[in-house]
Amino acid sequence: MTLLGKLDWSAVPFDQPIIMGTVGVMVVTIVSILSWVMLKGYAPYLWREWITSVDHKRIGVMYILLALVMLLRGFADGIMMRTQQAVAAGGAQGYLPPEHFDQIFSAHGTIMIFFVAMPLVIGLMNFAVPLQLGVRDVAFPTMNSISFWLTASGVLLTNVSLAVGEFAKTGWFAYPPLSELQFSPGVGVDYYLWSLQISGIGTLLSGVNFVTTILKMRAPGMSYMRMPVFCWTALASNLLIVAAFPVLTALFAMLLLDRYLGFHFFTVDAGGNAMMYVNLFWVWGHPEVYILVLPAFGIFSEVTATFSGKPLFGYRSMVLATMAICVLSYTVWLHHFFTMGASASVNAFFGITSMIIGVPTGVKVFNWLFTMYGGRVRFTVPVLWTIGFMVSFVFGGLTGVLLALPPVDWQVHNTVFLVAHFHHVIIPGVLFGCMAGYNYWFPKAFGFRLDERWGKAAFWCWFIGFHLAFMPLYVTGLMGMPRRLQHYDVLSWQPWLLVAEAGALVILAGIACQVVQIVVSIRHREQLRDTTGDPWNGRTLEWATVSPPPAWNFAVLPRVDGLDAFWTKKQRVLAKQELPAWRRAYQPIDVPRNSPVGVVTAFFAVVTGFALIWHIWWIAGIGVLGAAVTLLAFMFRTKDEVEIPADEVGLFDRRRPVEVSL
Amino acid sequence: MTTETHWDVAPGDRPAVPASERSASCGLLVYTIGLFLAAVLTATSFWVANTSAIWAPGVPAGLAVLAIAQMGVHLVFFLHITTGPDSTNNVLALAFGVLIAFLVLAGSLVIMANLNENLMAHGEMPGAPAAYTGRH
Amino acid sequence: MNVAVEMDAVRHGELLDVSEAGPAPKRNVAAFGFWIFLLSDIVMFSALFASYAVLAKATAGSLTGAQLFDQRNAAMETALLLLSSYSCGLMSLAINSRQHLGTFLGAVVTFLLGAAFLALELREFQVMIALGAVPQRSAFLSAFFTLVGCHGLHVAIGLGWLVLMMIQLALRGFEDVVVRRLHCFSLFWHALDIIWVLIFTIVYLMGVLP
Repeated sequence: MTLLGKLDWSAVPFDQPIIMGTVGVMVVTIVSILSWVMLKGYAPYLWREWITSVDHKRIGVMYILLALVMLLRGFADGIMMRTQQAVAAGGAQGYLPPEHFDQIFSAHGTIMIFFVAMPLVIGLMNFAVPLQLGVRDVAFPTMNSISFWLTASGVLLTNVSLAVGEFAKTGWFAYPPLSELQFSPGVGVDYYLWSLQISGIGTLLSGVNFVTTILKMRAPGMSYMRMPVFCWTALASNLLIVAAFPVLTALFAMLLLDRYLGFHFFTVDAGGNAMMYVNLFWVWGHPEVYILVLPAFGIFSEVTATFSGKPLFGYRSMVLATMAICVLSYTVWLHHFFTMGASASVNAFFGITSMIIGVPTGVKVFNWLFTMYGGRVRFTVPVLWTIGFMVSFVFGGLTGVLLALPPVDWQVHNTVFLVAHFHHVIIPGVLFGCMAGYNYWFPKAFGFRLDERWGKAAFWCWFIGFHLAFMPLYVTGLMGMPRRLQHYDVLSWQPWLLVAEAGALVILAGIACQVVQIVVSIRHREQLRDTTGDPWNGRTLEWATVSPPPAWNFAVLPRVDGLDAFWTKKQRVLAKQELPAWRRAYQPIDVPRNSPVGVVTAFFAVVTGFALIWHIWWIAGIGVLGAAVTLLAFMFRTKDEVEIPADEVGLFDRRRPVEVSL
Repeated sequence: MTTETHWDVAPGDRPAVPASERSASCGLLVYTIGLFLAAVLTATSFWVANTSAIWAPGVPAGLAVLAIAQMGVHLVFFLHITTGPDSTNNVLALAFGVLIAFLVLAGSLVIMANLNENLMAHGEMPGAPAAYTGRH
Repeated sequence: MNVAVEMDAVRHGELLDVSEAGPAPKRNVAAFGFWIFLLSDIVMFSALFASYAVLAKATAGSLTGAQLFDQRNAAMETALLLLSSYSCGLMSLAINSRQHLGTFLGAVVTFLLGAAFLALELREFQVMIALGAVPQRSAFLSAFFTLVGCHGLHVAIGLGWLVLMMIQLALRGFEDVVVRRLHCFSLFWHALDIIWVLIFTIVYLMGVLP
């Protein structure tokens, strides 16, 4: 057994110019950024204030930053696929050989779901939920940091696969027998499995954290029916995380045992059952999409109410619909494999449940419409994203209802019709929701708004580009085009795929607008400054703090009397024209102490994961030991809180409405 | 501040009666009764599985009932789960977990039985390599 | 935690509903969080149980459960784990009364019983492997070793945790954080016994039925 397991220089794909070019760009970018940070002396600040931070606001920002960077990588994969399919018709072979193309579509799905959508949603929940609940932080702040850094570990491992080794070529679900050792002997599937196992632990811990926070830690007076709807959707989403991710953990563990120790869960011989993988994968997979979309629905609720200047219509039915979706999402999973052997009665059952689950979402759409009706709607960037969502998502959802019918699904399963459907719900649903939330809460996080013009340009590019890119796929899907094609012979598909390519380019323009938006906003931050903490005339408690809020969020926990707690408070203050009494008495506040546990544990997780992928057992052992020692050190630490003296609390509070820099 | 507040009971804590009012022997009694009941249920399970006195097709059902009863004993006597109003969160969380576990187990069993029946070539024994038709 | 409330809005002498009482005390928060984590663990086990149930007959011409399982051994393991749950309960009582000696005694007994359980289980695995019934032989065996092995791994982690807690108790006494962690340990330990009830019923008892 060699010292470095399976690892040697042949792992680096020197003979593939596209990959080496990409790796080169990534390395240069990372080295430049790190050098700039070091030379400017920002490293100690970054370590102290961000990397070891256990503050939910900082962790939320880091999640979103991670997600946006990975959006660039995932989108690059997407546009590469579109380009390949636009040219590889008939005799032309395109520029991507099949082995490479297969890795691209696998990486695209994996990255977009696990490393873009999940971190975006979790990051927004991290930032906003404790503020909306009127409390100081989540239930387990240090565990929150561990969750973030473990997600980052997964990101790192997946990206390393580009430079060292390969990624899975199995698609993002990695069905056996293809993903078994017999048919995927390389390291690609191992990269996939270990990246997702590691980040999956982080996500599960996040779920535990938020369920506990929402159920056990709310401001005094905030009963369940006085919580903002975003917190209800966060609760449902995190309950689903707790309910679904353990299944994925068990499933990947079984596949890993097959691959590493020669077990026979899903092999073609010795009694293995590959369909068991498919079954359990989608037991996780369907709740996963609701984990992503429910918080997005919550954001739409907040944005609609705020910018219509009216309370959300039908609060109770929103709550009921949310919890109904939470439970129902666990009863539909077979619709992902209608064609894979179940009999008509089983298919019919799941077809019916899949149609039923559309009903609560319909209730929500009507509630949003009725909220806007009769209100004075301000067409800000978040509202544009919201209306774009409402217009698009309804149609995407309708194609879902179509697909819920087994006979229809039999025609279009695994064609690009399906690809069009799920992009038609995920992009307008999750992505537009997160863009709305990002624009909505940005001033709270950083103290200045995002530029409105570039934001609108970005929206229109995304909206138009998305439709151009995906509507043609419905057509070619109905014409019979399967998904994941590196090359095709049916020339009549090509015009449609050229339109799709144009759409991808328009989306690229949209992303460029978003990058410009950040640069311009930072340059003009003084003009865009949020001086009051309440730039949108908001309704919920996060707008009652300074922008950005101090580590302890609220000098005094607010006492809540009803729904839309901040709105009612504002009306009362305006009516009484005097300072609220609570501003006159401050007490010292204990805040959780920063901790390197998260980043250090994640470092050892990366070491362990990489070593296991390359069969370097002794390094894997060191990694596990290191993680164990880190947790031990955390367990035996004596000081877990820092006290902020009352004067500092008061001083900070009295400086409102002036902003405080990070 | 004269406002009184009361909170939910933590899972695993005994509800309502404050520790000062409860005697130490009371706690001991609860655990001992739990142990005794669990032991009886365990012994009964082993007997049911091995006896010929019970109608054979009913044995799995009987074992399942005994297992559920024993889990209940653990929950009530060792984990102090009650139906009191200060235990609502804990009970609801438990119910949610049980529901999910049930859906995963029952759903998977029904689906896999159905798939196995449809996908295995006739004449093959269960456990022989299943033909992977992968009809897609 | 400092929970200062707006002075002008406090309603004096009123019993607040638990959902309006504000952030719960740390013990409740920690225990509830651990409770939710335990539920996630139960879901993970249900996925492993599902796989076992599906693959239980997939013996690939090799040995079956009826041929391999020793019911007497399973009965002894069950008794050991059940007794260790009991001793853990006694340890909880001692912790509530802040008695050092009672706590240590309860912990030692729990540890020994748990370790004995593991020893029996490892010996059972050894016997099976010697017979050629290795997890690589058939899907049934893969599922069996994974399900029962995962439970055993949890027991082993629990034993390690118990040792660490006793060290921490000796160093720091009954500090709030130590008491909270001990409480979480007892939740974990009782949950493991609950899972074992399902294992011995579904794997060992139902597994040997004709």
